Amino acid sequence: MSEIKALEHATLKVPYEILNKRFRSAQKIIDREVDQVMNVSRQVEKALDAQQPPILSDMTKLVANVEQKLQVLKRKADESINDELNVTQICKRKLEHLKGIIPRSNGDVCLGSVDQWKRIRLDRLVIEHLLRMGYYETAEELAARSDVRHLTNLDIFQTSREVEDDLANHSTTKCVLWCIDNKSKLRKINSTIEFSLRVQEFVELVRQNQRFEAVKHSRRYFPAYEKTQLNEICHVMALLAYPADTDIEHYKKYTDPKRWEQLVLDFRHENYRLFQLSNTSVFSAAVQAGLSALKTPQCYSQTCRNLNCPVCQEDLNRIALKLPYSHCVQSRLICRVTGKPLNEHNHPMMLPNGQIYGRSALQKITKEDGTITCPVTNVKFTKPKIDKVFIM
Amino acid sequence: MGDEACVTVEKELDRVVSKLEQLHEIASAEIGDVASLMSQLVNVLENAEQMLVTTLNTGTQMNAPGTPGSVDDPMGETVNMQVETEPSAPQRLTESQMEIIRDAISKCNVRVQKLSTEHRDSHGAVSKIGKAIDRNFNSDFSSTMRVDALQDEDNLMLLNKAIAKHYCRQGMDEVARTLIKECKMSDNDAQDVFDSEREFAEIYSIWIQIQKRELTEALKWAIRHSTQLLERHSLMEFRLHRMRFMQLVSNGLESQHDAIVYARTNFQKFAKPYEHEIANLMASFIYLPGGLEKTPYKIFLAQEMWTELSFTFLNDACQLLGISKNSALSVVVNAGCTALPALLNIKQVMQSRQVLGMWNGCDELPIEIDLQPEFRFHSIFACPILRQQTTEDNPPKKLTCGHVISNDALHKLSNGHILKCPYCPVEQNAEEAVRIYF
Repeated sequence: MSEIKALEHATLKVPYEILNKRFRSAQKIIDREVDQVMNVSRQVEKALDAQQPPILSDMTKLVANVEQKLQVLKRKADESINDELNVTQICKRKLEHLKGIIPRSNGDVCLGSVDQWKRIRLDRLVIEHLLRMGYYETAEELAARSDVRHLTNLDIFQTSREVEDDLANHSTTKCVLWCIDNKSKLRKINSTIEFSLRVQEFVELVRQNQRFEAVKHSRRYFPAYEKTQLNEICHVMALLAYPADTDIEHYKKYTDPKRWEQLVLDFRHENYRLFQLSNTSVFSAAVQAGLSALKTPQCYSQTCRNLNCPVCQEDLNRIALKLPYSHCVQSRLICRVTGKPLNEHNHPMMLPNGQIYGRSALQKITKEDGTITCPVTNVKFTKPKIDKVFIM
Repeated sequence: MGDEACVTVEKELDRVVSKLEQLHEIASAEIGDVASLMSQLVNVLENAEQMLVTTLNTGTQMNAPGTPGSVDDPMGETVNMQVETEPSAPQRLTESQMEIIRDAISKCNVRVQKLSTEHRDSHGAVSKIGKAIDRNFNSDFSSTMRVDALQDEDNLMLLNKAIAKHYCRQGMDEVARTLIKECKMSDNDAQDVFDSEREFAEIYSIWIQIQKRELTEALKWAIRHSTQLLERHSLMEFRLHRMRFMQLVSNGLESQHDAIVYARTNFQKFAKPYEHEIANLMASFIYLPGGLEKTPYKIFLAQEMWTELSFTFLNDACQLLGISKNSALSVVVNAGCTALPALLNIKQVMQSRQVLGMWNGCDELPIEIDLQPEFRFHSIFACPILRQQTTEDNPPKKLTCGHVISNDALHKLSNGHILKCPYCPVEQNAEEAVRIYF
């Protein structure tokens, strides 16, 4: 499995879902306008089929009507198909980027461009992670700074940002609009977000002591959910019987202002499901896998840390604590002085204290008088016996 | 890379695009066509009415010349409107007029319905894109993640810190600052972010400049570190000069003098290692009058050359300063991007053999991840006998003959005190094996 296959699902899936949505709304618009045309053209036909031939001036009006509706259809079809084409361009741009690394004619790729591509990928992954965490501002800024906006899903998350801000301000308006906008899709994934919103609205009415309004509200919105949510509806309705600052555990959870924060999270979750994004970001999967792939027991020993190793650095070290170590069936040894691999070109050698260094490193640290100070233990040896070590 | 998967998706996408373009064509041409047919009909009908009014007004009855109602019809039909001139009764259409309108209307009906059906039919093509994406790309990482690792607040904050450090390191302090504000990082942690290594920021800003095709700072840096660079056989300084020189040459004749002066001041110290290449570069003067666009020298100024140059700079400069050219975050994420495909592959095998989840309860990954050498930071010794990594409890031991095996293997292989080395004929005392450290 290649890296692109493994990691880039969301990059393509999100614009696809938008294309799909645009397609459906375009279909709706075209159908509606076609209906309009058909309506007026039917009137013409009716007039023509009447017992008496139609009156000239009436007919002029009817035909003019048809013409006008046709123009509207033409304009709207034009607009919505252009809309769809625009979205396909977004997909296309992303595909182009994914295919971006052009191998040189002699088969290997330019290191610089691969490096560049990976840099952009890191920025893309970080932006996705930031969006999922709700750090919109940072995501925007980063996208602008590193000029990767067209490769991210920022635009889509812009709407969700507005909804989230609205919810954070204890208002359901935008989220309800969002629910209506995505009604069929939400129904398909069995989402209960709209119900939660309606419950919240009800709770707010109760909180403001507008209990009659609350009843009205419940009558208007709750029946649609009686099949699936009857239990909860009953619980919520019982709120009517208690004061808004009730201490009863079961009802307190509804009146808790924290429920708004939960709604924000619920909304975010449903939004991912809508775009068929998994709940975890590629970034966090990559961070975990990467930490594991790099993690060695040495990273947790006091003496063997390597400052260049990410897992040896304090913060990442703590994150990696619960993750598995890397697996290794073939020895791979690195000289702690030069950082170069130990192999037949740089043979591993042992000082009398059991410390292993590469031949080239020993040459470097041997003083002119033949003394060597072990770089790790600081023990000094005068013309020590150095043994060759064989690693199979 | 993932070419084949991308190509599959692209094929489906292209199909949709051409379909949509076709529909666009239909919408503007065919619908436009019937619309203009209708408008002509309206014109004719209005003319007919007008004519009637005039005839009525002038009082001429009958014998009005058959009002010309024929129009150049794009549909190839002649609309001939004969106006009946009965003053008293409202004017009615003739049979032939009705026929023409009927035709036009039915044409219109067919066309608009065709637009709607064809658009609907393209749904199949659209959803095929989605299927191609789902089939060719992986969307599920749950098997390669530990749910608890990146969920709790503390770890997420540590991760935020790593992200902030990464951007701070690249001199994007504003990004780091915004993140710190948005995630409400504690002041201590924030301070820590800004205290982290700053040396890199200078290198990084020069790197950005090279990408913007601006060499001044880079050259300054290279000249400042010239001796060290030469010691390391770095290509960087010469390449920077080469690029600057080509920039001058590409300006054409007016820069000829500057280019020669530049070459004389800067190429001399590279005469030995780059003799051939300098000759090659100087030959570019032949093409100066005509510009470099159509010559072999064009390649020197291509985008890839700039990318490669900036990469060489970053690489060599970091090496010289002894700092890592990649931040911890980027090493981790790139290692992860290498590891994930392998882990996802093994997932399928493990599921088919009904092995339990790979991250639960295991303290090691199920497979070895083949990382680039630059991502290897620690020595790992895997016992060649037992095929497992050595640990504090089971350390590596050097036998007297120099071969290294793990302590466990040593115990398994020794008979009393006597041990025969598994790799050479030497028999030895097992007690004499020495613990070694990598």
